[in-house]
Amino acid sequence: MSSQDALILDGLTKRYGDFTAVRDVSLRVPEGSIYGFLGPNGAGKTTTIRMVLDIVKPTSGTLSVLGQPTAMAVRERIGYLPEEKGLYKKMKAWAVIAYFARLKGVSGKEAKQRAHELLERYGLGAFADKKVETLSKGMGQKVQVLASIAHKPDLVILDEPFSGLDPSNQQVMEDVISDLNKAGSTIIFSTHVMSHAERICDRILLIAKAEMVFDGTIEQAKALIPRLVRIGGVEASRLRSLPGVGDVMPSEESPGVFEVVVADGHDPQEILRACMREGIELSSFESGEPTLHDVFLHLVGDDAKVAAYR
Amino acid sequence: MNNAIHIATREYAENARTKGFWINMLMFPIILLLSVKVPKLLEEKAKPVRQFALVDQSGLLGDIVRDAVERDYARLVMEKIGTYAQTYAKDKAAVSAETLEKTAMPSDFAGRVKEFMDYNEELMQQMMSPEAIEMQLSMIKPSLVEDAPEFEMPRRRYDEVDLSGLTGADLDLATAEPSEIVRALRPALVDDERLEGMEQPLFALIVIPPDAFEQILDPSIGNMANAPEPQDGIQFWSTNLTDMALSNLIERALDRELQKREYVANGLDPKQVSLIRSTTFQFSAFDPKKKEGEEAVSVADTMRKWAPVGFVYLLWVAIFTVVSFLLNNTVEEKSNRIIEVLLSSATPWEIMVGKLLGIAGVGLTMMTAWVLSLLGVLKFIAGPEVEWAGALFEVIQSSGLLPLFALYFVCGYLTYAGIFLAIGSLCNTVKEAQNFMGTATVILMVPLFTMVFVAQDPNGALATFLTWVPVYTPFVMMNRAAADPPMAELLGTGALMLVTIVFMLWLSSRIFRIGVLRTGQPPKIVELVKSLMTPLNHQ
Repeated sequence: MSSQDALILDGLTKRYGDFTAVRDVSLRVPEGSIYGFLGPNGAGKTTTIRMVLDIVKPTSGTLSVLGQPTAMAVRERIGYLPEEKGLYKKMKAWAVIAYFARLKGVSGKEAKQRAHELLERYGLGAFADKKVETLSKGMGQKVQVLASIAHKPDLVILDEPFSGLDPSNQQVMEDVISDLNKAGSTIIFSTHVMSHAERICDRILLIAKAEMVFDGTIEQAKALIPRLVRIGGVEASRLRSLPGVGDVMPSEESPGVFEVVVADGHDPQEILRACMREGIELSSFESGEPTLHDVFLHLVGDDAKVAAYR
Repeated sequence: MNNAIHIATREYAENARTKGFWINMLMFPIILLLSVKVPKLLEEKAKPVRQFALVDQSGLLGDIVRDAVERDYARLVMEKIGTYAQTYAKDKAAVSAETLEKTAMPSDFAGRVKEFMDYNEELMQQMMSPEAIEMQLSMIKPSLVEDAPEFEMPRRRYDEVDLSGLTGADLDLATAEPSEIVRALRPALVDDERLEGMEQPLFALIVIPPDAFEQILDPSIGNMANAPEPQDGIQFWSTNLTDMALSNLIERALDRELQKREYVANGLDPKQVSLIRSTTFQFSAFDPKKKEGEEAVSVADTMRKWAPVGFVYLLWVAIFTVVSFLLNNTVEEKSNRIIEVLLSSATPWEIMVGKLLGIAGVGLTMMTAWVLSLLGVLKFIAGPEVEWAGALFEVIQSSGLLPLFALYFVCGYLTYAGIFLAIGSLCNTVKEAQNFMGTATVILMVPLFTMVFVAQDPNGALATFLTWVPVYTPFVMMNRAAADPPMAELLGTGALMLVTIVFMLWLSSRIFRIGVLRTGQPPKIVELVKSLMTPLNHQ
């Protein structure tokens, strides 16, 4: 076991009776990284997180959290934001943050001070003395995020931190994550929105139907799917004759445009140069990076939809 | 364990801030205060002067009724003079616990004296004359404080309405059938219309038929068979069926008059008879458990015997008030999913202990407030009308019931807190929790239903049986506290209760662990037992 890994999962499995929620998940989260748990709803992300936090016991498999076999032993170094958000409605915003910090071993005075600092820094200074029930949903969620990190945890686990936030608050959330990461924390968060993961994750775990589908960097993930260029104004047969061109399919969205798979070992520039050399007049040439969303659909495909409706 | 303390502190602070807590805490002293003051206020101010109409066709009994009403007022005036004298006395002759210890329980002697007075109209009338009252007041004057206000004559309780000319020319009250009189006055009685000059409905109508002396009930054998019909006798008409004071007053006075005549007819002197009737033996109760020479059952003994009933009630209210706080909090944490954050910061055991301690603190605060306000009301506010109140408190204090009360509160709380915490952890809304408890509530009410019976027979079969039911032990033991239950029973049931508490807390912590992360409907009992048998890593 490397001390460089904040979290190591080995063959982690959770069964509820006949139902398997998580099957044989193994991974390493390096210290100081931002790690995304991606997958459709019901894939097993939350169960995995609960096992990591020692809230539910794994049926089999082992784990190491900050070098310890259970999270309870290092709970003061872990911050957790659950998927379903909720706070004590009758407490004041600062008091909620301070309370959860105290449970993580921060002294009373320090906890109060940090609560006020955090509220100030993330634009909620004016609401510090307001009761939670009077805050808007978004503000309440921000307070809860702050409550989960006020003790300066080494490992932060955020379950769906972006859900329910408007775009500007989603940006604040991204800022919180990158601030924490800069301060040296390891961050694990789950989401089913790929764009967030793509922007801020170093590594991702893709999980579907209780099983892990992929674990690695974003580049590695994108390399999994063939690169596509979209070319317009030319016959499919001529395209096929060009070097570096793999499959050619007519685009479903725009007639006259073909989606061309770039063959292994080639890149889109090569195809463009070949077109120029051959004197082919193109009406359009689009070469986009594949998004994580494409990777997701490619790897999970129809399962995602099935899972989403369950 | 630090976390348990943090959780306890938060629970305490949050609950101590709720309206419910303050309402519960203040309700008791307020009710106490009201129950001391309001009946008196109502008696003096709110209860209207009852106005009644009297139709006497016998020509003999009307004045008897009027005299009785006068005597009733006379007694009221004397009572008020007594209260007045006590309220403004320079040296208040406070009743101490010691006097209560020595005062034997009164027999019905006071009632006999009253009856004797009723037969002695002259004596009563003498005391009632304005001069007599003036004299009484001047006699007590020297013992009153300087700034005592003037004595105010109390309001009359009953007033007779003058019917002459009110019922119309076509009705001659002296000869009309009772039914006709009732028909004429029914609108006034049911308040359809008011009699002239009256601001309130007619409270009662009394009709005495001309042959009233023939319509009597005589218990001698043979006469009961041809008892007169109700409508042939004296009639008391009123829509108010609960305030029987006036009808009792009149009935007693009329019967007395009848009996007086019977005495005379049989050659007896009614005064002599009343004196004889008021003569009694000295008959006293003794308790063999008391110290030799002081075995007479005193007022204090009687108070001590009944005080536990009050404590059982307080105990019951206090325990179920605070455990319902516990239930609500747990349901809130569960439905808000705060519990997940807590579980990532503390073990389920720490969370449970923290909640139990925090709410126990709330309960103890409330009880302390109750006991203090009981002391306050009894000692400082109650006044002369409940002069025994301070003494009652001293008796309670000296009886050793208070420490027992605290002990049984803790035991009872721990027994029920676990159950309610477990129920809370299984439910998503308070409503669900209430449904879940369902008939359980009836079972919990048993100590309340039985508290009077247990006090009457504190070492009897019912008391003994209930003591051995662990969930009732704290209440029933409190109930029996004054009766020195057998030591073996005390220890046995105490041990059983402790085992139960430990088992309940252990079981609740298991249920709590499973319950808090469950979503959806509360489980069926079978499901619950099944999941309790499953090891944690398969749940």
